[in-house]
Amino acid sequence: MKPFRVRFARLAPLVLIASLALGACSAPTVPQTSSSGSADDTFVLGIPSEPATLNPVLGYAVDGGGLMFDGLLSRNADLSLKPALADAMPATDGETVTFTLRKDVKFHDGTPLTSADVAYTYQAVMDEKNNSSIRGDFAAIESVDAPDASTVVFHLKYPYAAILQRATLGIVPKKLLDGQSLESAPFNTKPVGTGPYSFVSWTPGDKLVVKANPTYWGGAPAIKNLVVAYAGDDNVRATRMAAGEFDATVLPPKAAARFDGQQGLTVHKVDSADYRGVMFPFGQPVTGDLAIRKAVNLALDRQAMVDTILAGAGEPAYGPIAPGTTWYNAAIAGSPAPDQAQATKVLDEAGWKVGDDGVRVKDGTRASFTLMYPAGDALRKDLGLAVASDAKKVGIDIELAGLDWDAIEPRMSKDALVMGYGAPYDPDYTNYELFHSTLAGQGFFNPGFYKVPEVDALLDKGREEADPAVRKQTYDAFQQRISDDAAWAYLVYLKHVYVVRGQWTGIAPSVEPHEHETGGLFRNIAEWKPVA
Amino acid sequence: MTRALARMALWRLAFTVPLLFAVTLGMFALAKASPFDPVKQYLGVRALTTSPEITAQIRENWGLDKPVAEQYFTWLGNLVQGDLGESRSMHRPVIEVIGERFGWTLLATGCALVLMLVVSLAVGALAAWRRDSWLDRTITGTAYANEAAPVFWTALIVMWIFAVKLQWLPPGGLTDPAATTLEFGDVLHHMVLPVAVLAFSQSSWLLLFVRESLITTLREDFVLGARARGLRERTVVVRHALRSALLPFITLVGARIPELVTGAILVETVFSWPGVASASVEAALAADFPLLAALTLLATLAVVIGNLIADSAYVIADPRVRVLGVS
Amino acid sequence: MRIAAGVLVVLALAVVVVPLVVQLDQQLVDLGSANQAPSFAHPFGTDEVGRDVLLRVIYGLRVSLLIGLVAALVSMTIGAVAGLAAGMLGGFADRVIMRVVDGFNSVPHLLFGIFIVALFSPSATAVVVSVGLTHWTTAARIVRSEVLTLRARPFVDAAISGGSTRLRVVRRHFLPHLMPHIALASVLMVPHAIWHETALSFLGLGLPPHLASLGNMINDGARSLLAGDWWASLFPGLFILVPTLAISALVQYWRDRTNPRWRSELQL
Repeated sequence: MKPFRVRFARLAPLVLIASLALGACSAPTVPQTSSSGSADDTFVLGIPSEPATLNPVLGYAVDGGGLMFDGLLSRNADLSLKPALADAMPATDGETVTFTLRKDVKFHDGTPLTSADVAYTYQAVMDEKNNSSIRGDFAAIESVDAPDASTVVFHLKYPYAAILQRATLGIVPKKLLDGQSLESAPFNTKPVGTGPYSFVSWTPGDKLVVKANPTYWGGAPAIKNLVVAYAGDDNVRATRMAAGEFDATVLPPKAAARFDGQQGLTVHKVDSADYRGVMFPFGQPVTGDLAIRKAVNLALDRQAMVDTILAGAGEPAYGPIAPGTTWYNAAIAGSPAPDQAQATKVLDEAGWKVGDDGVRVKDGTRASFTLMYPAGDALRKDLGLAVASDAKKVGIDIELAGLDWDAIEPRMSKDALVMGYGAPYDPDYTNYELFHSTLAGQGFFNPGFYKVPEVDALLDKGREEADPAVRKQTYDAFQQRISDDAAWAYLVYLKHVYVVRGQWTGIAPSVEPHEHETGGLFRNIAEWKPVA
Repeated sequence: MTRALARMALWRLAFTVPLLFAVTLGMFALAKASPFDPVKQYLGVRALTTSPEITAQIRENWGLDKPVAEQYFTWLGNLVQGDLGESRSMHRPVIEVIGERFGWTLLATGCALVLMLVVSLAVGALAAWRRDSWLDRTITGTAYANEAAPVFWTALIVMWIFAVKLQWLPPGGLTDPAATTLEFGDVLHHMVLPVAVLAFSQSSWLLLFVRESLITTLREDFVLGARARGLRERTVVVRHALRSALLPFITLVGARIPELVTGAILVETVFSWPGVASASVEAALAADFPLLAALTLLATLAVVIGNLIADSAYVIADPRVRVLGVS
Repeated sequence: MRIAAGVLVVLALAVVVVPLVVQLDQQLVDLGSANQAPSFAHPFGTDEVGRDVLLRVIYGLRVSLLIGLVAALVSMTIGAVAGLAAGMLGGFADRVIMRVVDGFNSVPHLLFGIFIVALFSPSATAVVVSVGLTHWTTAARIVRSEVLTLRARPFVDAAISGGSTRLRVVRRHFLPHLMPHIALASVLMVPHAIWHETALSFLGLGLPPHLASLGNMINDGARSLLAGDWWASLFPGLFILVPTLAISALVQYWRDRTNPRWRSELQL
């Protein structure tokens, strides 16, 4: 790197402007420059959305995948847990969980990791003053102690089977944060962690630059300089990938289709627990009727949605737990093709008779309801259109409404909505919030006011039960009941599609959650090695 | 001339202050009438888990419980002191967001403006000179079509041809993302399409104007006289006719700023150019009032400055002009 | 001229007649026949969820025209009232109104439109309001200058000395004179209003995205465009371009014949 270039970089817009004789103006901030590295050993990831903060305490990369941070535990590709900062899996005794830490771990600034940092991290998340968006996930924790420098003890309020899944939270150094207001701490934009990459620069709206941590306890990564570039528009990411600007990116299936079979590029279609479905409000005369919900479910052509809207990168969905995870109940699977005869039969038997305009009527009520979708989301718009088209064939009239989230939120108890959720780690995740009656109507939790005492009991039991076999049974029963009630019309599970340039070993796809911007296939990018 | 200029500038200034004041008032009234809750906008996803007490606390901190008039004057006071507030969608001070992006917009629109002037002058003169030939018809036909075509559509078509099909130029962005430094050639390379589309979309009207006024001038006595003296055709067109057609041309450029801003909004969005104009769309999609208000003020200021430049150019070019206020 | 008129007649017929013959179900998709290139069955091809582009383009033009007409009417009404008031009242009122006109002209129209739509949720009404509120100024100027010329005419003095009130003068003498001008300006406003509607829809700030509108279609088409399917965005664009060209050609013809002075007042 010639020094001239560096000097020039800062002046570039000014020079450009001046050279065009446009007179004086202030130079815009130049995207952050690093003094080392050239384009050759730099790997560029194109990512659709950027985090609002880089602080794990405030919700950055909570399920792992934060390149700059490690949790006590981390995940294998099959989603099982393995020790990370902990030197072994913890000892669990009902309401206490005890971790011992590795001794050889240092933060990027050179300070050694101690149990005080771990305790501080969890305490900070749970501290109400910090307004952490993930505080609710740690509600089962009573307190966290650090009896000596390498031991951390979690005291739980009640036995909580899924607690280990929460131990992937990235650990922050107490020294840099203690006593500060977390919402405005400089740490949020200049983080220091223990992870395989250390922070170089962050230009919000543009890119995050990190470099390999040469003394990483897990071994230094092969990719030395990593740029995480943010481009929200799918088309922009696709074209920049095609132009060679990105080395890897995540794309909607359709946009990725043209990369299939291209020289030097690999398209990875990764299974996910990320589903899209129609949430039905229960308090309404039409969507509250079991026959209507069942008929919609039967009339759907899920295969066509997968083939056309997802360009083949997906699976039909029948329930909230992803096929391919241990907790999936195969008994609830339906037919990917529509069964209009059965749907018609269900409606006829329930007394919904075809009216003059082809729409069914029962006791003076038309079989008609509104289906909302977020206006900016083309995928949900297309799925909504497909649902409306399919339902029309059996005499159910669905009126689509494309709205922004602000307009959607107050209407969720009255109108159906195309929603997306799903986490592969534990069946308690999201399902408790979406189907437990005590959370009905709280923001986006259980927006349809689904209130079934049996389901509440199953969810409570699953949350506290420790025996995996009993839990499996419990969640099987839960899935069956949701399916019997046709609480939602599950449409599709997406496959997350990644395009990667070059040959690499160590790429380990795993079933991914709904939120995958910071992880996904790139979760273990520190372990990728170029094929020589 | 200096006196006329100063007087005109004063008039403009006297007009600008109440104008900006009125714009802030209008924007604030619209924001108050908006059904969106700014606290919810600020909290984003966190609104789902935030307790009502915290929301009420934020409301109080922001002074939203105070009378509307008081809120307005507080906001205006902050604006005057240079505190533009915090962008709710980007969670950063508005001044930072604008400062970072303004230069890029200035660069792109500046280049587009220069390109547009040169191209419409040259091509317009060409069309006028070869009036009613097939060349003239092609030029004017294209200009009319271009005038009628929405610029975002033109931009897409151009992007399809040059970035997708031919792969000559990058489809968007500011630099190659792998670049860790900002290099002249790299930016230039990324700038070609947006600048060309912006210039092209704005040029039609000026081009047609140049053509028409040149045709009129070519019929005037002094041009006929020059021709009669046996001067070369090119000298007649460039030296004599073009020169006198130039005057209204200059003033019209300043008056085109609103269209230029509109074009910049659409072109920057299509080519994901990280300027202030595309930020206004992002802000709008997130109902980010502080950022949107600041950008609207900025655009208004740009228009006023454009008018000032137009008027000054007019006064400088033709001292006889008496400027009657702003009408 | 003839071509322009012919094109407009054909398009107008298509917009009026086609919906009577073929109903477009705005929500009907046919996932089995997505992304088909133009063919005999689908002259303009199909989009990414298998909808016929030709039919949607016609419906889109209809929606855009309708919104354009309403918006033009709104802005013309505001403009006419403001222009009349300025011209008739004169003096201080005139100056205030003209300053307001200048003020509105100082805010770039699209940005102002974006501002309004952003704060009041995207919808057809928001689009109409935003276009109407930003485009009345041209009409106001035209009406004002016409009123000023009319006021100088002798018959106005005669009417006033005959005991007519101002309102009566306006109603009996001015409006009939002004009507053709207002009508012409309205026609000219329509393509501009359409342009605004499509631009807002394209940015995701216009009509609900599943409805057939030209801006929505270009936005949807942009996705397939980069995959090589050009037809889904090319045709909607042409359906904005062609009528706009035709209208401006016609208006220019008319204007040149009737009132050459206007050329400097109304610029598209």
